[in-house]
Amino acid sequence: MFKKALLALPVAMAVGAAAQAGEWQDPNDVLQQFLQENPDSAYLHQSEMNIMMMPDNPALWLVDEGEELFYAKRGPNNVSLEGCDFGKGPGELDGAYVELPRYFEDTGKVMDFEMRLVHCMKELQGFTSDDAAVGQRHGNGSDIMKLTTFIAHQSSGMAWNPPLDHPQEQAMRDAGEKLFYRRGGAMDFNCASCHGDVGKQIRASVLPHVGTGPEWSKAVSWPAHRAGHDNVRSQNHRIRGCVWQMRHAGIKADTPVNTALISYWNDQARGEPAILPDLKR
Amino acid sequence: MFKKNAVAAGMAAFASVALTAGCAVADGSKGSDVDITAMSADELAEHLIFETDSFRDQEMQEGGDWRDRMTQDDLQKACSMKGDPDGETAGQVVAMARASYEAPESIELGDWRKGAELADSGYGYRQGHRTDDHGQREPGGNCYNCHVFDPRVSDQGTIGPSLQNYGANRGTSEAVLRYVHEVISNPHQYFPCTQMPRFNSDRHQLLSDEQISHIMAYLLDPESPVNNQ
Repeated sequence: MFKKALLALPVAMAVGAAAQAGEWQDPNDVLQQFLQENPDSAYLHQSEMNIMMMPDNPALWLVDEGEELFYAKRGPNNVSLEGCDFGKGPGELDGAYVELPRYFEDTGKVMDFEMRLVHCMKELQGFTSDDAAVGQRHGNGSDIMKLTTFIAHQSSGMAWNPPLDHPQEQAMRDAGEKLFYRRGGAMDFNCASCHGDVGKQIRASVLPHVGTGPEWSKAVSWPAHRAGHDNVRSQNHRIRGCVWQMRHAGIKADTPVNTALISYWNDQARGEPAILPDLKR
Repeated sequence: MFKKNAVAAGMAAFASVALTAGCAVADGSKGSDVDITAMSADELAEHLIFETDSFRDQEMQEGGDWRDRMTQDDLQKACSMKGDPDGETAGQVVAMARASYEAPESIELGDWRKGAELADSGYGYRQGHRTDDHGQREPGGNCYNCHVFDPRVSDQGTIGPSLQNYGANRGTSEAVLRYVHEVISNPHQYFPCTQMPRFNSDRHQLLSDEQISHIMAYLLDPESPVNNQ
């Protein structure tokens, strides 16, 4: 704990006058604020049931489980994840999730959250891709989703603020924008086919609009309990589902295409508070 | 260890250009040799799709592999802008779409009941963690995803215009039949850079001629529930 406090000091000084991420807020408080400030958003108001369930969001169960996993000594190297740097310093989780993806000196590339988590589980703890701990990416039972939910929760209510200072960060964000608007696949869809307009429905589902801050912040606020799946899902899982429906090719987990898309996603939600974890239909 | 970490954190916050020592985490997987900052955003997007092992190596239902499906044709390239196309692009896209359309000798309406099923079906052409098997089930048209045909049916989308009473308002003249066939086959002939897929174009045929005749019947047949509201 003493070590943590000492580490926080130089980071705080270095950040200096940079934009404040804001205070931690309960995810339901963030949602309620969005609802009140955007009474006409069909997307935000589409499910009374989910709004009602939000204080008892089942995703919150994973927060405690994830916390235990984070501080437990695990893997062949028998160490905790406290040495993992998500961009704010080793073990510093406050506000880390909303400031990803970012460039990491130690790998020389831009990494999104899941890529960084897996990196730490392999490099620090010694897990390999064959271990279920990192191999299993989806579902409430997976270590990845428990850890994701715990770590993301530490940034709830803070504004999305992925850094763009490093040229690689800007390059990945710009490529992500191109990917978002790139028509392709068997049915000529791009992401904007569904997310380019306000208040459109695909079947019964009201779609979030990429150009409307509060809608988009909620849209990219994964991890979220997805009621229809009865599981907590990640940003990567959402991308996989969209790309599948779009009839593009089958996308793999946490590859650079995901990173670029997430860089653009999170940039489009910039300045809006994150709902972590969220609850979705 | 503590000192190193503090240095790394501080320097990362300053987005320092070069940091040769003091990494918090040892790592064998350095970034690739490619300088992504030397590429244009378009070049980098293509690089990420085709050169970073981001997609599963699978055969596509329409033939070809994942690269074929992810490679853009001219129309897709022309329509990859944010927002609507400018006048010049729109004209080029219409010309492209018209040049590749082959009108059938005659068009007849099929069975509207089969058309309703096809309009509802979202099966087909999906690839990845679950891949649609066209040998088990025929692909559908996905029409309900975006269009209301019959407000009595729940869960119809609004990305495209409502088609309620489409045939009742237009009749079934030869000209109407030809127009609807053109739009389903390649809608860019009339709506450049529309979000609607090309169901029968020079790129590929997603719906058979017979399937298209059924969907047309669902839209135009006076007996179809679409036209009885």
